[in-house]
Amino acid sequence: MQTAAMDPADEPSSMLWGLDPMFSAFARLYVKDILQMTESIQVPGIYFYNSHPVYKVDVLGTVVYKREREDFFCYGVDDGTGVINCMCWKSALLKEDEGLGKSSEHLAVPQGGFNPVAELKKLRQAQQSRCHLEIGELLRVRGLLKTSRQEREIMASTFYKVNDPVMAVQIAWMMEIPQLYRECYDKTFQLQPSATGNSTISTLSKATNILKDFFQQRSVTRFRPYDVQDLLQPLISSQTQTASKDQEPVAGPSTCQQLRQLLKEVLVILQDEGIVYRKVKSQDEVYHVTAQDKNLLLAVKDVIREDSKREKYAEKGCHILHILSAVRQKYSLNVSKAALELVLKSLECNSDIVSTSDNYYIAF
Amino acid sequence: MLPATAVFHFPWEIKSGAVQEGEAVRTFGRWVFYVLFLLYFLLVCYQPEESKATLSAQHASKEHNVVIHTLFVEPFNPIIGAQYVVLGEIENAEGVGVMVRARVLNCVDGVNVALLQKAINEQRSFFRERECKQHDAAQPADAT
Repeated sequence: MQTAAMDPADEPSSMLWGLDPMFSAFARLYVKDILQMTESIQVPGIYFYNSHPVYKVDVLGTVVYKREREDFFCYGVDDGTGVINCMCWKSALLKEDEGLGKSSEHLAVPQGGFNPVAELKKLRQAQQSRCHLEIGELLRVRGLLKTSRQEREIMASTFYKVNDPVMAVQIAWMMEIPQLYRECYDKTFQLQPSATGNSTISTLSKATNILKDFFQQRSVTRFRPYDVQDLLQPLISSQTQTASKDQEPVAGPSTCQQLRQLLKEVLVILQDEGIVYRKVKSQDEVYHVTAQDKNLLLAVKDVIREDSKREKYAEKGCHILHILSAVRQKYSLNVSKAALELVLKSLECNSDIVSTSDNYYIAF
Repeated sequence: MLPATAVFHFPWEIKSGAVQEGEAVRTFGRWVFYVLFLLYFLLVCYQPEESKATLSAQHASKEHNVVIHTLFVEPFNPIIGAQYVVLGEIENAEGVGVMVRARVLNCVDGVNVALLQKAINEQRSFFRERECKQHDAAQPADAT
């Protein structure tokens, strides 16, 4: 088994391994690839497939070699691409059974009744037959990878015989693995999508998060756009700094205009999400923060409590759209469905209201 | 020691020479081709006294017969007309021609042949695709 040594500099830092979803999964790799993966220089027992850190695998294949020792079985498993050794420890249950076989014979079996001892014996026999494989039988094995005496092997954590008389399991497996490779194993793992992604999108999401944090930390109930405009200033200046390095500032939009544009977009997002809403649409742009608006909370609660008393809603509760129209009539025309959903969620968390089924709410 | 990998092959590839291009090892004055999983042959005849079974498969309106040496898998229950999968080595013994020395002979009667064939082709095309990609990736590096 010859594998090209990986430059330590090429290895992803061990700090980041856990972020790769493949790291914590039993990778269904072809045996051929398992044998060819490079071992990590930083931590032995970790291998790299296409820069993905892998330390446990899931394999299905035919047993082509078998050796039994007192404590373990050693199976050579062939999946059609390669052969790998699997160390399968005998479980304590399995070993106990050998001794138990004689002693349990003289136990009386009550006629027709449920005999736990006999049932347990059956269970053990079933387990034993699943762990005891002959050459030519199909084995499914999951376990950690290890290299000992320059041979790569699987230390099985789970293994069992697969009954596959018409090859249905094998066929399904063979069809699935190329898909897995195409969809995840062969794709390079990108740790910082935002670093390479569209910078305007990330600025927008950063700005949204800044405002959300600000509302929460300061318990803002309402604000006007120019109150929060300064919060977004650092985002704009950092953007223009990076841009000005590359090119001369042509007659583009001024910083102030950019800032206003950004704020406008952020407010649209926040309104769509229901985080903020405008109680009254007038010249004076006042935004209310939904979560902090006690009056809205009370209004919604009142609507539900009142209508829950009516016979029509008493059993099933009020539908969200019914609540929405009532709140719009009684409180403000501009409450959005998203904002109402947020309010309902917080009321439900406080047990002020109860949801009877999807989108139906009731208050007692 | 672990045996060599058994790669899936269709019955009609045995005589056409596709397998012979694989890893051939000359041992004991006899050509031995390590490899293979033979597929869904129908068992047409079995001669226990000689440990020989003949399996046959239809492909492109031709019938392909392959002789299987069954000494290592005996005793087995021969069902004439059933489908079998063979894992073993190909031998090109003098006088006999191409023969497969079976290490595993499993009866898989009732297997969905079309689906199995598709799965094997799927796997092959995946490897071919990947080799192409690796080849493409390696080429510009060589050029510079």
